[in-house]
Amino acid sequence: MSTSIRLPAAVFVSLSLALTACGTGDGGAAAAKAPGGPVKGGTLTFGVNTEPSTCLDPHQSPADVAGLFTRPVLDSLVSLDTEGRIRPWLATSWTVSEDQKTYTLQLREGVKFSDGTPFDAAAVKANLDHIVDPATRSQLAAGYIEPYEGSEVVGPHTVKVSFSRPYSPFLSALATAYFGIESPRSLEQPQDALCKKVVGSGPFVIDEYVVQKGITYHRNPGYDWAAEGAGHTGAAYLDKLEIKVITEDSVRLGALTSGQVDAIAGVPPVNVRQVRADPRLTITTRQAPGGNYNYYPNTTSGPFADKRVRQAFRDGIDFATIVQNLYFGAFQPAAGPISPATDGYDKTLEGKAKYDPATANRLLDEAGWSARDAEGYRTRDGRRLTIRWGFLKAFAREQRDTLAEQIQAEAKKIGFDVEFVAGTVNEWLEKYPKGDYDLMDFSWQRADGDTLRNLFDSSSIPTDAKFGQNAARLADKDVDGWLSDALDTTDQAERAELYAKVQQRVTDEAAVFPVYVFNYLLGAGEKVHGIGWEPQAYPTFYDAWVEQA
Amino acid sequence: MTAVAVPATRARARVVRPVLVRLGTSVLVLWGAVTVAFAGLHLTPGNVVDLLIGANTVTPEVRARIVADYGLDRPLLVQYVTYLGRVLHGDLGQSYQLHQPVASAIGEQIGSSVQLMLASFALAVVVAVTVAVLTAGRRWARAVFSGVELVGISIPSFWAGILLLTVFSFGLGLFPATGGEGVESLVLPSVAMAIPVIATLSQVLREGLELTLEEPFVLTARSRGMSDLGVRLRHALRHALLPTVTLAGWMVSYLFGGAVITESVFSRQGIGRLTLTAVTNKDLPVVMGVVLIASLLYVVINILLDLLYLAIDPRLRGA
Repeated sequence: MSTSIRLPAAVFVSLSLALTACGTGDGGAAAAKAPGGPVKGGTLTFGVNTEPSTCLDPHQSPADVAGLFTRPVLDSLVSLDTEGRIRPWLATSWTVSEDQKTYTLQLREGVKFSDGTPFDAAAVKANLDHIVDPATRSQLAAGYIEPYEGSEVVGPHTVKVSFSRPYSPFLSALATAYFGIESPRSLEQPQDALCKKVVGSGPFVIDEYVVQKGITYHRNPGYDWAAEGAGHTGAAYLDKLEIKVITEDSVRLGALTSGQVDAIAGVPPVNVRQVRADPRLTITTRQAPGGNYNYYPNTTSGPFADKRVRQAFRDGIDFATIVQNLYFGAFQPAAGPISPATDGYDKTLEGKAKYDPATANRLLDEAGWSARDAEGYRTRDGRRLTIRWGFLKAFAREQRDTLAEQIQAEAKKIGFDVEFVAGTVNEWLEKYPKGDYDLMDFSWQRADGDTLRNLFDSSSIPTDAKFGQNAARLADKDVDGWLSDALDTTDQAERAELYAKVQQRVTDEAAVFPVYVFNYLLGAGEKVHGIGWEPQAYPTFYDAWVEQA
Repeated sequence: MTAVAVPATRARARVVRPVLVRLGTSVLVLWGAVTVAFAGLHLTPGNVVDLLIGANTVTPEVRARIVADYGLDRPLLVQYVTYLGRVLHGDLGQSYQLHQPVASAIGEQIGSSVQLMLASFALAVVVAVTVAVLTAGRRWARAVFSGVELVGISIPSFWAGILLLTVFSFGLGLFPATGGEGVESLVLPSVAMAIPVIATLSQVLREGLELTLEEPFVLTARSRGMSDLGVRLRHALRHALLPTVTLAGWMVSYLFGGAVITESVFSRQGIGRLTLTAVTNKDLPVVMGVVLIASLLYVVINILLDLLYLAIDPRLRGA
């Protein structure tokens, strides 16, 4: 469902949108060994489960699927490789000022947008300014460069970008499709027009996007500025690329197995084994970066204000087994707040989680929830241990609703009464900023470790004035300090160390109940080769080709 | 079977009056639908502007424009009249989520749905009439088909759609599984949608046929040496059609609702999926627009049916 959500209410965004993931695996080809080299021509048809029906423009839309739909036509200034290194793309080189507040980018010459407009420093400025323009109502991109002060055209192909504070995640933000460079001429149109058609300098050009049907592209014949590290240079192999919206899981899978589409997104977890066993099909998985699909307890009010109760919920329920059984191993149980594909992931958390109902029961007794009522729920001073969960069923994907019900049943065994209280989205939007809940669930995809700042910095606590993703409402001075220090340094090792501290602290505080790591599950026919991966772990088609019959 | 001769003016009055009454009630129905849509907007908990915007963000200027357009800063009665006036002018409002006017959002999708509905309607009528005519009053055939019809009515169309796809698209590769171009892509969805309609129609039609076949005039026709099939087609069918036509009103609402599921299963564009998305995303302007269009469609169909009654049964024209 593609769907759209109010942004500052970005929390919900990740509930409802299609996914992203970042590469940790191999080089990224989706298919098996090719019989010969890549061949030019043909059409690749890709079936997806969701679409950016409300808006295609990634400057505006927070939907990962808007990135998937526009990446074929949009190049970025830099790219992020599988090791997390920044590589040149439309920017050939860059320097960071002494105080880490100013980035000077040298741009590639000779690049043209598909509408004929030349790419230059003014175009970069127009794009960044467009993203932060309040009229754009950017639901994600603008938030990624919050301290942005402005851009200055230094020369025809030199641009200087300034921030109000040191801001180390800038380059990795630039590598996302949300910062895809659009033709400045197209940016002059009203926002609504950009929601239907986006013009860039990429290897493909949009023919038409029809909501509920899909989008078609043709090759940009003059393309000659692939990102460094791409599989080839020059124009794309495919004549045409077609993305079809097929929301029904079984139909999408059937369309793949019967050869009506060449590849599909979102192979249903229950069918992963079947697809793997089929010699005519291949399956490629890629872990999404950023916040795992986690549950966040409200640490400021209600039963979860007591750390012991939080620990009891986390350790007294066998999350790992439930996840394994429900998703047939297609998604891994999460060890910490962020996924292994995220820059700055702390591997030492792995294996530390333990299912321990005895300790959970002891902790709950200690916390005063020692009595039980007639239905078997724990009580304290005559009040039941009730957990009010803001679970939005309408946006539940990947059987998250089934998962939630299983968790509810398991929680009952250790005496928790879990209630679903979200109501409609509008009702929920009033409760969420007020902290009127005990538990929240969502995933939050972002390749940079700075994702932890979205999730746990005290400035991200949602309030009526400002929406945020810190659903745990954690306000920890140390955490805030480490996150701020990480913004000040571009030294990867130093940042990783700071982010590790944050991950350990929120785990010790039981401010997050990790659930599972989302994987993009891509199924493809045997004739398809060379599908690549975006850092945010959705497929790219520049290097893709199809065997001709 | 000819109309009784009456003076021309009286005859005209007899035709004109019911038509006027029908038009009057149609207007009432439409007015009711607009009122329900308006009431729905105001009775739903939450701020009206937020409801109209739904899960989306807009600039303060857009908020101000919504307040002005809907007259939200004025008394409820004025708001109601404003809304009524806008609907009368064909303005169904703006979808802030789809970034386009509701009328054009519906306009883009409705063609594909109408195609599907007409195809399954035609299919249902042809198959149901054939089955009913061939099985009425014949013990064995009747028993077998009654059983089949019961299954047809009972199976969920979602499941029927998946089954059809599995066999004819994924298995035999005869038809495409998705998309809305060409006749091939229309076959499976219209069959899936027609199944319960066929089952219901043929049951009602057969019962009507069987009752008619007992009538004395059928015996007269047979005694003139008319073949059995001829009797069924030329005499009995016309009588049996009346109760069937009454069902057509139900069929329209069924097909409208069925489009939601069928369009999703077959990944077709259409108003059913538009509605589903709008409901999921709380895109209230689109939901209200669909309610109005659906009631308009319903009213038009009912007027057409009334005319059809007159065509089928000449007795209704005269006395």
